[in-house]
Amino acid sequence: MAVTAPATGRRILLVDDDRGLRHVLSTLLTDVGHTLVSAADGPEALAQLEQGGFDIVLLDLGLPGINGLEVLAHARALPNPPLVIVMTADDTSATLLEAVRRQAYRYLRKPFAPNEVVSIIAGAMATAPHAALSIEVVSARPEWLEVIAPCSLEMADRIQSFVMHLEADLPEAIRESVAQAFRELLTNAIEWGGKLDTTKTVRISCVRARRMLLYRISDPGKGFDIDRLKHAAISNPDGDPLKHFAEREEKGIRPGGFGLAMTRSLVDELIYNEARNEVILIKYLD
Amino acid sequence: MTIVEQRVADVTILRLKGRLELDEGDVMLRDHVNRLVAEGRVQLLIDMKDVTRMDSAGIGMLAGKFMTVKRRGGAMHLLNLTARTGRLMHITKLETIFEIFHDEDEALRSFG
Repeated sequence: MAVTAPATGRRILLVDDDRGLRHVLSTLLTDVGHTLVSAADGPEALAQLEQGGFDIVLLDLGLPGINGLEVLAHARALPNPPLVIVMTADDTSATLLEAVRRQAYRYLRKPFAPNEVVSIIAGAMATAPHAALSIEVVSARPEWLEVIAPCSLEMADRIQSFVMHLEADLPEAIRESVAQAFRELLTNAIEWGGKLDTTKTVRISCVRARRMLLYRISDPGKGFDIDRLKHAAISNPDGDPLKHFAEREEKGIRPGGFGLAMTRSLVDELIYNEARNEVILIKYLD
Repeated sequence: MTIVEQRVADVTILRLKGRLELDEGDVMLRDHVNRLVAEGRVQLLIDMKDVTRMDSAGIGMLAGKFMTVKRRGGAMHLLNLTARTGRLMHITKLETIFEIFHDEDEALRSFG
């Protein structure tokens, strides 16, 4: 027996000058219940957007006529803006950062597996209306990305996706460790610090130096006392990795508590401020 | 995430595919195991071959359901950990709690 999340059809504008890709994605997305409208260049995309009614735009950036980034800005300025998923072979950090600044929902580097688009759309629509929340860009330099984002778990996926695209040149093992640690800290900040309240925000800085990565995450919570974390795995004695579960059950907290223990093992340094509502993780590159 | 269920005598194999993360697969796994436990099916083998990503919430749910099943007199074993998920089980020391297999027949025999 297979168990899958229910699919709900959405109206999607697909903008790409590659006829083959348009055909593949149109067929795939129509098959899973979405309604597709296609455009082959920038002016055609703008004309379609003017008619309105799109939930999602799948947008190539290297378009004839009008650049995809301009189409993105236009789409996001509409009264009921669709989510825009950028698809591009342009892997420069400047392009990615501009897409983030113009409120792209996700960034897909070509070539990609067509099913990845299906998965991203399903995730986006499952979390609506949070999917439409905006990320405020404080700094969009490749060596210093800083954003402020509402406290929704869906934001963790979006931000992690953008940040990991920026670090695409790093060895896979480092990228994987950093991605995992970053996600753990970010979801902690959003879930525990921000209480999943989308009126509150987390502030995230990603600094790329020649010999290290430094990420800082500030959450709006009061912080925590590390000596009172009996519900976390870091408090367990050797030989009893589930001792903290009793504490979690007593407090009515879902099974878990492994995030801090995992993060400590994945990065080189983990430094909290005094209140512990702000954390820095460091990964050395040599 | 998707879960495909297969029954082999008293053992139920759950083949997970996709992300086992907070709000993305963890609740689905919890509900599926709870339903099996309610039916009295407490010999579970979790096939992790196609788990693409797992976070601490996913690991926590695995451990939580391990405890649920154990309290009902059953067992929950893991099959086909990838390098990525295996590393996380090592970091969290949960590899000392779970019985972990890479051969399905051997895993099925382990339930006795």
